[in-house]
Amino acid sequence: MTAPNEANMRVTSMLPDMQYAMQQSQQNLSTAMQQVSTGLRVNQPSDDPAASANMVRSLAYSANVDQYTSNVSTLLPQMQTADSAISSIVTALNSAVTLGTSGASSSILTANKQAIASQVESVLSTVISQANSSFQGAYVFGGSASSTPPFVAASTTYTSAQGSAASPLSAATALTAGSVTTISDATTGESMTFKAQAGDTVATLQSAVASAVSAGTLSAGSTATINTDGQLSISSNSSTAGIVVSSNDAVLGSMSAASGTAVANAYAYVGNSDVNSVQVGDSLNVATNLPGNQLLTSGANVIGSLTNLITALQSGTTAQIGAATTAITSAVSYVSQQRVPLDSTISQLNSQESYLGQEKITLTTQQTSLVGANLADAATNLSQAELDNSAVLAAAAKVMPQTLLQYLQ
Amino acid sequence: MASLSSSLSMAVQSLNAASGELQVTNNNIANANTPGYTRQVAVLQEAAPITSAGNIAVGQGVQLTGYQSVRDELLQAQIQQQTQAQSGANAQLSSMQQIQPTFTTSTQDIGTEMSALFSSISSLSTNPTSSTSRQAVLAAGQSLATAFNTASSTLTSQQATLNSQVTQDVSQINQLTKQIAALNPQIAAVKATGQDGGALQDQQDQLVLSLSKITSVSVTQTQNGETLTTGNGTPLVVGSQSLALQATTGSDGMTHVLDRNGADITSSLTGGDLGGSIQTRDQTISGLLKQLDTLANQFGTAMNAAQASGYDQNGNAGQNLFTVSSTVAGSAASIKMAVTDPALIAASSDGSSGSNGNLTNLSAVQTSALASGQTPGDAYASLVYQVGSLTSNANAESTATTSSLLQLNDQLSSATGVSIDEESANLITYQQAYEAAARVVSTIQSLFSVTMAMGTAAAE
Repeated sequence: MTAPNEANMRVTSMLPDMQYAMQQSQQNLSTAMQQVSTGLRVNQPSDDPAASANMVRSLAYSANVDQYTSNVSTLLPQMQTADSAISSIVTALNSAVTLGTSGASSSILTANKQAIASQVESVLSTVISQANSSFQGAYVFGGSASSTPPFVAASTTYTSAQGSAASPLSAATALTAGSVTTISDATTGESMTFKAQAGDTVATLQSAVASAVSAGTLSAGSTATINTDGQLSISSNSSTAGIVVSSNDAVLGSMSAASGTAVANAYAYVGNSDVNSVQVGDSLNVATNLPGNQLLTSGANVIGSLTNLITALQSGTTAQIGAATTAITSAVSYVSQQRVPLDSTISQLNSQESYLGQEKITLTTQQTSLVGANLADAATNLSQAELDNSAVLAAAAKVMPQTLLQYLQ
Repeated sequence: MASLSSSLSMAVQSLNAASGELQVTNNNIANANTPGYTRQVAVLQEAAPITSAGNIAVGQGVQLTGYQSVRDELLQAQIQQQTQAQSGANAQLSSMQQIQPTFTTSTQDIGTEMSALFSSISSLSTNPTSSTSRQAVLAAGQSLATAFNTASSTLTSQQATLNSQVTQDVSQINQLTKQIAALNPQIAAVKATGQDGGALQDQQDQLVLSLSKITSVSVTQTQNGETLTTGNGTPLVVGSQSLALQATTGSDGMTHVLDRNGADITSSLTGGDLGGSIQTRDQTISGLLKQLDTLANQFGTAMNAAQASGYDQNGNAGQNLFTVSSTVAGSAASIKMAVTDPALIAASSDGSSGSNGNLTNLSAVQTSALASGQTPGDAYASLVYQVGSLTSNANAESTATTSSLLQLNDQLSSATGVSIDEESANLITYQQAYEAAARVVSTIQSLFSVTMAMGTAAAE
């Protein structure tokens, strides 16, 4: 309807205006009902384009927070498994110190020393078993090589599956480019990894082994040779020095320990030094694993020192037993030190978990204010819209039948 | 000198005038709800007086000179203009309302699926060897690709719908212009006799209004009737001739509009359903599609680059995660997962199967700017903003034009519409006028009788 103050306004049909007013009021009623029933002010982008765009960002962040929380929940038991394994290792090592100290007594009988030696052997197997702990199928101390046990009983000699007297491998046999051959030495606690380049042959591998010996990575005397059966034989050349060899080169075939060459109480680390890290916050990544070599072989060679104690108890002098025991004492403190960052990560995860919980609440509040309807307002709007709608309908019902004809007889 | 006969003839003229007024009123009441009807009034004129002997001028009653429709050409033109704006906004609104749900946050929109993909990658980082977690990444990647495909197909199918709308509109324009052109000579003929165009003019105005719903037209009055051109000057109706437009599919797969000489006038058509449809199809949707394609292309490429910097579970360099088209256009429609084997997700940074080092690179895509300068999440958020804002603007324009049109119609109806109350009052007035004139006739008749009886009485 046009403004009533216009001069000489003829009012013809009021129907279009009535229809428009009814449509508008029903539209308002429907909007108010939708807001009350969904609890949302913004049900589609056109309701508030800017809030909708912010909501997309907020929901993405919210999904990240949920995932960080889930990551924390997954990581905590995994890290607690590692922590409890280290704790058990420390306990075991302390008992080895006690055993070593009693074995270092000058008054002790040889037979008793043997008995103590076998007790230390069982300590060693406890340590190995803890070091091979797994969580949901993944070995926690294997670095990123977590699908197989990281500590493996060592042997003196490994031979290749390929090669035979009839068709022997030779120094000139070409290796597969990109293949990896790893030799882990139980005595040194270190590993050499040989990655074949294009053009490399068995001779290249042999010289790499010689270089690793010179560098001290592998025990003195370790060699790679072609044996009389035409196989590649990698050997420590010492009955007490154990190694573990693996290769994925199809030319060599899988490397396996030659029978009868197992070295008692020798374990080599076949994992790697990788540390995985997982994001548990926008700018917070935590290291999720402690590689076994860092924990037990490469720093204070914990396993080596236990092996040394066993050897000393079996055949060494009192002084040697004492020295081996001292080495274990320092190993205890070394292992305890390694546990510190792990423990701090666990406590960091715990506090991050509560922070994320708080963050989630903040985000939910933010999202509600972005797109949520203020229920008090929405309810008031609804009753107002209902009132308006009834008023419009009542007015229409009142006005529309009114014509002059009704009054003319 | 005044005579009974001349009085009788004057009374008959009065009866005639009152009948004419009653007829107009009757017609007005009958057409009170006829769309486009403009109320008519009977045009009465005082008959020229006759000067009789002695210089006495005597009025000669009333003359019904014709019927006149009450028109307001200016308001009519404003209504046509607003109708074009309203139909254009409605065309845009209707398309956007169909597009909008795809970009509304749900369990399957691009934003949610993108978050789900990054969550699955983050989850995999806690256990990079888990085949279940790897499978989850593939499934999330697939869902995201599907979300891109769906969004793209929503946009392109909307374009296809608009193509058929354009064809339909063009055929409607041709029908309407034919009818308008056919009315031109008829109206000209009526007007040549000095009469008002009346019902024919109403009919033509109504056809022009229908045409305004489809496209912007400008109307020029000439001696041969109305000349109609489109907003850009392409002639549609000249005199009795209508000039048909043609709809044809162009090399871009879109329906184009050609004038009668075959010149492409698609981009110059504005207003009305046709103009709104063309603008929505060629500018709004094309723009959204381009942004969606750019996002899909750059996102897929960034994920592939991150994947290439790592190693899969077999120790091989990461292959492409997504198949992305080499050109930006069509990327959202064609993006799909390139790998189906969970082991091929390049989680490892050094080739060892348990390494998760490269997942950091994959996760970083979420927070790194793409070539467009925005992170994938921000790029999608601005797409959502645009969809929302385009819909909301179209809605606001539609509401504004509807309300302004209502006001203009009120004004027009105030000037030209039928008021039943007014007609009822007129009816009484004209009825009384008729009765009065009839009474004059009956009075004259009795006077005649008296006059005739004068001789008889004398004879008696």
